[in-house]
Amino acid sequence: MKHFILGVAIFAMATSAIAGVDVIVHPSNNNEIDEGTIKKIFTGKAKSFADGSKAIPVTQQDGSAVTDEFNSKVVKKSSSQLKAYWSKLVFTGKGTPPEEAASDAEMLKLVANNPNLIGFVETGKASGDVKVIKSF
Amino acid sequence: MKKTLSLIAVATMLSSPCSAEINLSGFASINAGKVLSGTGVPQFGIDEPTFLADYPIVSTYNDEITFEPETLFGLQISANVGQGLSIIGQVVARGADDFDPTFEWAYLSYEINENWTVQAGKKRLPLFYYSDFYDVGYAYVWMRAPADNYTWQIFNYSGANVLYTGEWGDWSISTNIYAGREDDKENKLLSEFFFSEPTREIWKDIVGGVFQASYDWFEIRLTHMQYTNQRYQSGEPVLWDGKDERDGKFYGIAMNADWGNIFVLTELNRLDLGGNLDTQMITLGYRFNDVTPYISYAAFEEDSVGGEEHNTTSLGIRWDFHPSAAFKIQYDDVQDKSFDLAVAGDSKSLTVGVDIVF
Repeated sequence: MKHFILGVAIFAMATSAIAGVDVIVHPSNNNEIDEGTIKKIFTGKAKSFADGSKAIPVTQQDGSAVTDEFNSKVVKKSSSQLKAYWSKLVFTGKGTPPEEAASDAEMLKLVANNPNLIGFVETGKASGDVKVIKSF
Repeated sequence: MKKTLSLIAVATMLSSPCSAEINLSGFASINAGKVLSGTGVPQFGIDEPTFLADYPIVSTYNDEITFEPETLFGLQISANVGQGLSIIGQVVARGADDFDPTFEWAYLSYEINENWTVQAGKKRLPLFYYSDFYDVGYAYVWMRAPADNYTWQIFNYSGANVLYTGEWGDWSISTNIYAGREDDKENKLLSEFFFSEPTREIWKDIVGGVFQASYDWFEIRLTHMQYTNQRYQSGEPVLWDGKDERDGKFYGIAMNADWGNIFVLTELNRLDLGGNLDTQMITLGYRFNDVTPYISYAAFEEDSVGGEEHNTTSLGIRWDFHPSAAFKIQYDDVQDKSFDLAVAGDSKSLTVGVDIVF
């Protein structure tokens, strides 16, 4: 049993290098945003918040730990599945994947300055200039 | 496919009235394959084993290993000129066409609001589920969309379409209504493969619609299209029942279920050209992290005695070995059941390849 727990712990560490992700929006954004809505916004299926204002998703660099964490926990797809999904839309004129921020710091700066953006940073990295709406 | 926001932000800040945000993206497939064994079509004097992996492009493998039949490079350039208007062009160079680059897509797209988009120009004809991203191997699990289904000789059209995307409760909806025509002066499949003489194929008065709905793990796609067909062989009009044109009606339903690891893909289509031509496909796959084995069965059946009839059973593995590339290996067992309308005979083939997007 002990070995099993140790095994699970090692496995968990191997699959997730970071503690988690915080989904962030501009402090003025008071919309109800649940997990399903976040998933829809990041897959291009929903394009506005509950109040009708435009929702613009921002992701982070492909292959970074925080992006992998967000993709597997929230979008529930591997990064290759997500890339396959977007290539189907991009090359048929039906959608554009989210823009990428280069780091948590850049993400915070972008979201703090635009009420339409929704992004994510590593848990605990959010500043007072953004609002954390969900932690995964 | 990759863009950085900071770069865009800088471009926007510096924007002058004539600037456009330009995006370059692309895809490539490098495939190789050979027929392991096959009958050829002796009744037509073809003794060489042949595998027709792709009908409209006429990708044929024989008993020598070849790279040309399905290898392709695609480049897409899109210019966003602001206020919802963009122009998009896609150039594809195929080994099957000696890598001559041609514009497969060239259209403008105008986003009226978050739900409605109008597009016009040259596009892929969205008949089947995989038709419009047929060239982007990275976007699907197999080596290629099942050949027995994707048999129709016309795969582009020029015209206009209206796209709608929206949410109905928990369902995500997208619809596409399109109209246009295609005049293929020398259709490759008909000229080179079926009739062995220059064949001009015209599909005019094309009107079609696609309705797609998805909910969590489930997705359904319904489609209908109709058109009027005219054909000239060596310049002479082809007559059907004494008339130089005939009407075609296409119906399709596709349903996919994806539970994360296990997924099922299905497609059922009918083309009514006075008689019915039915196609069906079912695929079952399982994702073990980056490795996805799958099994697939696809069939084509003409509803008449001695009509065209063939099917393919495929086994394969997709391995996502790189963040932007997938390695695939696929074994295909084709059974060609008709005699008078045989396509390429029975064959067993192996193909391997790498699909990339960027």
